[in-house]
Amino acid sequence: MQVVITRPTTDALIEDCCRELLEGILPGLTDETLKLRLVMTETVLRNAAVRTAHEIAWMREETAVLLAYARRVVARHGSAALRAALADAGAGPADSLHLVDVADCYERAGQAFAAALAAAQEAGATDLVARAREVLRDRIATEKAVMASYAVVGR
Amino acid sequence: MDALGPRFERFLAAVEPDRAGRVIACEAITGGYSRISARAQVRWGDGAEETFILRGDPPPGSGVFTSDRDAEWDLLSALPAATSVSTPVARWYDRSGEHLGAKAIVMDCAAAVSLQDEMARAGDPGSLADLFVDTFAAIHQTPLDALPDRMARPADGPAYLDGVLSYYDRMASRYPGSAPVLRYVSWWARAHQPPPVPLGLVHGDCQPSNVLVGPAGPPLVIDWEFGHIGDPREDLGYYTQIPLEPNVYWADPERFLGRYRAATGLTEEQVNPQVVEYFLIIGMAALLEQLLAAAAAIGGGERPGIMAPYLINAISHQYDMFLAICDRLS
Repeated sequence: MQVVITRPTTDALIEDCCRELLEGILPGLTDETLKLRLVMTETVLRNAAVRTAHEIAWMREETAVLLAYARRVVARHGSAALRAALADAGAGPADSLHLVDVADCYERAGQAFAAALAAAQEAGATDLVARAREVLRDRIATEKAVMASYAVVGR
Repeated sequence: MDALGPRFERFLAAVEPDRAGRVIACEAITGGYSRISARAQVRWGDGAEETFILRGDPPPGSGVFTSDRDAEWDLLSALPAATSVSTPVARWYDRSGEHLGAKAIVMDCAAAVSLQDEMARAGDPGSLADLFVDTFAAIHQTPLDALPDRMARPADGPAYLDGVLSYYDRMASRYPGSAPVLRYVSWWARAHQPPPVPLGLVHGDCQPSNVLVGPAGPPLVIDWEFGHIGDPREDLGYYTQIPLEPNVYWADPERFLGRYRAATGLTEEQVNPQVVEYFLIIGMAALLEQLLAAAAAIGGGERPGIMAPYLINAISHQYDMFLAICDRLS
């Protein structure tokens, strides 16, 4: 069994790095371009801290929702593409909790969901399309949580 | 003066061999999201001084937003004869990058300030908002046959729109993580197409920051790297998401659109707040693809620079806007 130091958690470590960047390094910079790059780096790290604390749980939860939707659609409007996408989703490394495997399963589930949405749209199944919209709303809510301190700035 | 100064001086010796130009100052311009820009002051052999803007490609594999410098040069060169709107005087082009280290356009530096800054300073930006609307209405009415042959010319408005929505479908296939949202949005957009308008010249980065105003003379429109022939309402939709304050569209949408309709002759059915929202989706397509490509590059082990991971949030932000538009306009 591999042993890891559980405290501080990864997100706490990253947040500590963020503080170091903002409080320890940024005040000493005079070059405006470097300052801007450091602030953007800190934002990326702060977002990563939020993600790392939750992303495996988020992806696994949403994977289940995406696949449930695809199965619901296939029961009424099964297309070859949808069946193939569902089969592919079932072939993913579903038991693994390693991040790369969880992300793989999540992407496969997303493909099945997209195929199911296309089947529902093609069939004119407004109830299923409306349900897809609810799923997407939840996905965006999660992504907004990750955005954390990100501020939209002008190009 | 950084290393660009001596390079620029050698470039001047090549393009103006009889004028003995010396670069007496050269500094980077920060804040741009796409190109590498610098301002250079030159003293010629006869004592005259001029200031130039150098606008070049970032190093290959770096940055997020890409555009074709050859196409930008061709467009900049054609615009003075094609449009009533003033554009930067394009002086020289290092087409191969052999002198300046990357393909780079050299333009006159205007003694002017950003219209966005002027709006921010003004207590009531109403007249400046009108100037902004009139400027872009004039751009949109540029005769297309005066534009460079190399610019893609869709058959008509509906064909152009179909092309953009197909582009979204291709993005969904290329970037599986985004497929759910992109498939939903493109399906919705196909079912809710607004009445068509004639194709026009689209600036592609429509915002007051890209309009310069001076103490005299007409406004100068800069940053043409995303200029293309398309549906002019893309520029209006694009501007709605510009976060810099004041955003004069959101300050008074009816006034903004009323003036635009009066200037262009388009009808209220063709241009209204709902249509403008729809065209946010259309107007963001190319930039979204570049954001997705940059995110994928990081995932593939490339290092396009800190801007790429920083702007991953912009993808989420756009999806949030797109889905909200689908909800509001359904």
